[in-house]
Amino acid sequence: MIEIALNVNGKEHHASLQPYLSLMDFLRDMLGYKGVKVCCSTGECGACTVYMNGKLVNSCVTLAAAADSGEITTVEGLASNGKLHPVQIAFIETGASQCGYCTPGFIMSAKVLLDEHPNPTVDDIKDVISGNICRCTGYTKIIEAIQLAASIQLAEQVYGD
Amino acid sequence: MEYFSPTSVEDAVSILHKYGERSRLIAGGTDLMVDMRFKDQPDCLVNINRLSNLSFIKPDEDCLRIGALTTIRELEANHLIKTRFRVLWNAAHQFASLQIRNAATIGGNIARASPAGETLAPLLTLEAKARFVTADGEQLLPLERFFLGPGRTALGAGGLLTGIEVPYPDDGARGVYLKHAVRGPMDIVVVGVATTITFDGRSAVNEARIGLAAVGPTPMRARGSEQLLQGKHLDLPLIEEAARGAAEEAKPISDHRASAEYRRWIVESLTRRALTQAWQNV
Repeated sequence: MIEIALNVNGKEHHASLQPYLSLMDFLRDMLGYKGVKVCCSTGECGACTVYMNGKLVNSCVTLAAAADSGEITTVEGLASNGKLHPVQIAFIETGASQCGYCTPGFIMSAKVLLDEHPNPTVDDIKDVISGNICRCTGYTKIIEAIQLAASIQLAEQVYGD
Repeated sequence: MEYFSPTSVEDAVSILHKYGERSRLIAGGTDLMVDMRFKDQPDCLVNINRLSNLSFIKPDEDCLRIGALTTIRELEANHLIKTRFRVLWNAAHQFASLQIRNAATIGGNIARASPAGETLAPLLTLEAKARFVTADGEQLLPLERFFLGPGRTALGAGGLLTGIEVPYPDDGARGVYLKHAVRGPMDIVVVGVATTITFDGRSAVNEARIGLAAVGPTPMRARGSEQLLQGKHLDLPLIEEAARGAAEEAKPISDHRASAEYRRWIVESLTRRALTQAWQNV
């Protein structure tokens, strides 16, 4: 067993864990962040996507020990003061969540895009979600949701919340 | 399972020396985490992420030095690589998803020595060298001699790759990397073809280097086709001949991704396309 200390969604955690444990299994099974979804477990589908030190990663192929002294954000950490992030609002408004299993991963990827490109093209959107798979194949609504999220975010910047 | 997280290259190498075949290095983890979940768990896991001085892209006078822990995303975002080392940038840009590019390292891609490794054929055409440390000391070896077989390199069980040294291609060099995969960048290549070509004046080839991925036990150069092109003016018949030559030089096997015969067709097709792109951009 090894000891690690890290910050998840603004909260400090200390844990003792097996060295081979993935960040995905650690976040779900030891800390209870079930918004991190288990799907392919090989880094191909993006359902387990989180931010590690601000970077988008697949937590299934990230060693939990590599997050020692680091900062993790999961989908549970996107809302602030009880208010959903524009990407989350947009996914609800457009019905982009179908079975919903891939949704947290898509939301994490979409937010990274909007942080860097507030007004993305459809190609920018397709690029950033290429690491996320939707088994319902509902990509059209997902792309619409991300476009709507960009509009909401711009409107918030212009008019305030 | 024993676990180490060394903070110096010396410590890492002495741990590897002690545990040998029973140890595995982990950096980004994008390959090893899958192995550990579905295949084997090593007796000893060596996390090298704290060797923070192995993460750099350093343009020195004689060559570009890239640290082993530099991520694929850092290569993709680097302006010098995008402009002067286009063949490598192409590979980094087509490398899986953003999630993977943020984690996967150039050192891991090289040390893993998959014949289909995305950056390997491009690096062969740039004549890059591997710098590594073993219990016997430090070595610098051209990548072409570094790869020994699928998953086998000059590192053996006890070596640590610390970085690569990439000579600057000539100013007018054209680099192209094309991959054929079923699911685009997310998928392992069926065949990859890299070319780095320098021209004398308008279309006479000064030097042509062609690298092939996933068509042999290691990534390889198509030396025969390179020699065929040397000193000649490129035109469509010559490109056709070189493409056919590269397909003949390839040593593909049949597996669940493609048959050997199909792989040769793709080598021919991608080589033709890569040479044509290089030629049209002169």
